[in-house]
Amino acid sequence: MLSLTRQILTGTLLIPVLLIPTISVAFELPDGDEVARRINARDEGVAVARNLTMQMTDRRGKTRTRETRAFRKYYGEEKKTVIFYLEPSNVRDTAFLTWDYPNADKDDDQWLYLPAMRKVRRISASDRGDYFLGTDLTYEDIKLETRIGLEDYTRKTLGEDEVDGHHCYLLESVPVDEKTAKELGYGRVEQCVDSKIWMVRRAKFWDIKGKQLKTSHFREIRQVQGIWTQHRIEVENHKTGHNTLFIFSDIDYQHGVDDELFTQTALRRGL
Amino acid sequence: MRRVLLIVLCIAGSQTALGADPEISNLVTGRWGSGIEKVGTQMLDFAWQPEARWRFDDGGRLTGIARLRWQPEPGMRPSDMERGTYAEVSKPVLIGDNAELALRELYYERSVNDWYMTLGKQQIVWGKADGLKVLDVVNPQSFREFILEDFDQSRIPLWTLNAEHSFYDWLGGDWTLQLLWIPDRTYHALPKQGVTYAFSSPRLVPQAPPGVAVRLNDPQRPDDGVLQNSDAGTRLTGFVGGWDLSLTYLYQYHNQPAFHQRFVPGLTPVVEVTPRYHRTHVVGGTFSRAFGDWVIRGEIGYFTDRFFLTDNPTDTDGVAESAELSYVLGLDWSGLDDSFISAQLFQSWLPGYQAGFTRPEMDTSVTFLARRDFWNDTLIAELLWITKTNDGDGLLRPKVSYELEDNIEIWLGLDLFYGDRQGLFGQFDDNDRLLVGVKLGL
Repeated sequence: MLSLTRQILTGTLLIPVLLIPTISVAFELPDGDEVARRINARDEGVAVARNLTMQMTDRRGKTRTRETRAFRKYYGEEKKTVIFYLEPSNVRDTAFLTWDYPNADKDDDQWLYLPAMRKVRRISASDRGDYFLGTDLTYEDIKLETRIGLEDYTRKTLGEDEVDGHHCYLLESVPVDEKTAKELGYGRVEQCVDSKIWMVRRAKFWDIKGKQLKTSHFREIRQVQGIWTQHRIEVENHKTGHNTLFIFSDIDYQHGVDDELFTQTALRRGL
Repeated sequence: MRRVLLIVLCIAGSQTALGADPEISNLVTGRWGSGIEKVGTQMLDFAWQPEARWRFDDGGRLTGIARLRWQPEPGMRPSDMERGTYAEVSKPVLIGDNAELALRELYYERSVNDWYMTLGKQQIVWGKADGLKVLDVVNPQSFREFILEDFDQSRIPLWTLNAEHSFYDWLGGDWTLQLLWIPDRTYHALPKQGVTYAFSSPRLVPQAPPGVAVRLNDPQRPDDGVLQNSDAGTRLTGFVGGWDLSLTYLYQYHNQPAFHQRFVPGLTPVVEVTPRYHRTHVVGGTFSRAFGDWVIRGEIGYFTDRFFLTDNPTDTDGVAESAELSYVLGLDWSGLDDSFISAQLFQSWLPGYQAGFTRPEMDTSVTFLARRDFWNDTLIAELLWITKTNDGDGLLRPKVSYELEDNIEIWLGLDLFYGDRQGLFGQFDDNDRLLVGVKLGL
C-alpha cells in the first residue's frame, strides 16, 4: 500500500493511469479499412426480392411516388440487380438491370428498358455519379446499397457517434483521385456505422468543391429472416432542397430469385 | 366491330369471367398543333388508351390495349388515311370521319416447357437505331404524321405467334432465340392524296407529267392464302464478352408497296398507279457495347427484291428492282451529368442501282440528339436534328417536357422541316408546326 501511495505521489503510476483512456480508445476504434471490410462482409443473403417505394419531394413540397419491385442476386462476387417500375402508369414497365463485376477494371454492364421505345437500351456504366431516375441517390449508391466501394476511396475512422440511439463509428471516405471524385460526384463521405451490426445508419456527402451535398438516414433496421435489413432510407439534398424517401417492404431472402429475371429479355417482358 | 367493342368493354374495367381481377390503367393524351407557315390549327388530337392485364395461376398473362382517337382537323382525320392497307382482322373501326377505335394489342403469354410463348396482336421491335429504322420493320407503321408520332403509337401491331427460347453458357454467352409467324397481312398505313402529310416527293410517289391525270387504284394485296402469304422471321440475340449482339432473318411482304404505273392514252390521258406488295428477304444484325462514357451501337440489314421508282423512259411500269443494304452506326455519350448526346450515321446503298432511279444510289442521313434533364428528371429539354446529306433537307425537333404531377406530363415542341421539296423532309416544308401536349395516366 505504501508502495502504491509512493508511486502515485511520484507520478510513476499516475502517467499510466492517465494514459488508460487514450490507449483504450485507440485500441477499440477499428481502422477505416476494417470498418469497410466489416460492412461489406455483412450477410445480405444470396438473393432478395422486395418492393421499393420511392417518394420524391421537391423544395416546394410537391411529391412524386414510384412503386417498384426490385431483385438482387449474388453469383459468387458478381452481383446482378434489376428494378421493375409498377406505378404510376406513365412509367410502368420501365426497368433497369445492372451486372456488377468484382474486378474494378471491368465496367459494369447496365441496361434500361423504356416502354415508350419498347427497346432495351445499353447505357454507360460510367454514369455512376448521375442521379438514379429522378431520386437523390446516384446509380452508384443504388448499386452499392450502403456497401463500400473499396477501390474508389481511402478511409479512416474519425471517432464515435450515436444515431437514433445506436453507437456508431464515424467512417470518413475520400475518393482516391480527382477523376474518381468527379465520376462519383463526391469529394468526401462520412458514414456513421453501427458498431454492433455494421450497418450504415447515416451518411453525409460533400461535393467535389467541399460543399455539403446531401445526408442519408437509414432507418427501421431490423432482422428479416435473420438478415439485418433497412426498411427506410431518407435522403435530403442540401443543394437542391429535394429529398427522396425509399421504403422497402415485402422483403424475401428465402425463396430465391429466378436467374432469368436478370436478363434483357426479362426487362422487355416486365413482371 | 363487335369484337373490338367487346374488348374495349372488358378493358374499360368490367369484372370478367376470366377468373382474375384485371390490372387496369388508362392513358389519355391530348395534342394541339398549330401551323407556323400556314397559321392555324394543323392538328387536334385526343386519344384514350385503356389497358388491362389479367394474371392467371398458371403463370399466364393476358394483356389488352385499345385506343379511341378523335381528330377532327381536316387533313389529319382518321378518314384521311388509306384503309386498304389493313387486313380486315386488324382494321381500326371508323366512327364517322373524325374518330377511330382500334384494338392496339391483345396477347396471351406464358412459359410452355422451355419456351416463352406470346400469342396475339403485339408489337415486335428489332434494331438499335433511334428515330430511323433499318431492322425495326417487322411491324408496319402509320405515316399519319410522317415520322413525327412516337413509334410506340405509330407502329401497327400485328397478329403474331412469338416463341422465345433462352439458353445460357453457349459460345461464351447467354442467348435467346425468337421465332415469329405473322399471318396478319397489314402494311404501312399511308395518308390519302392531298392531306396534310401526304407524300409528294418523287422519291416516294410517282409524278405525272403536266396535263396527265393520275388514277390511284386500290392496293393489290397478297391473296387470302394465309400460310403462303404469312411473314416469318427469327432472331438470335446474345450477350457475349460485353457485347449485345443479334442476328435476324425476316421473310415478309415489304410494308411499303411499289407503285406500278401504266400510261393509259386517250383524249384525257391518265397514269394509272397500282400499289403492289412484294416479297423480300431481310438478313441483318445488331450490336452495342459501352466503353466508359460512350456507347457504340449499330445495325445492318440486307433486303432483297426491293422496288424503287424510276423515270427511265424505257421502263414499262415506273418501278425497277434492286437489293438494298442499309446500316446505322450510332454513338452515345453521357460524360456530362444529367445529359445525353447521341449521333447516328445512316446509309442505304442500292447494289442494283440503275439510271433513272428517283433516289440516289447511296442515300445518307445523319441524326443528332442532345438531351438534358433538370430538377430531378421532372424537366427534360431535347433537340433532335435529322438531315439527309444528299438533298440537304432535314427536320429539327426542339422539345421541352415537364412532369407536372406524378401522372401528368405536359410538353411544348416545334417540328421544323427544311430543304428542297423534292426531298424526304423538304416535301413537308410547309408543315412546320408548334405542338403542345398533355399526357395523363390514370
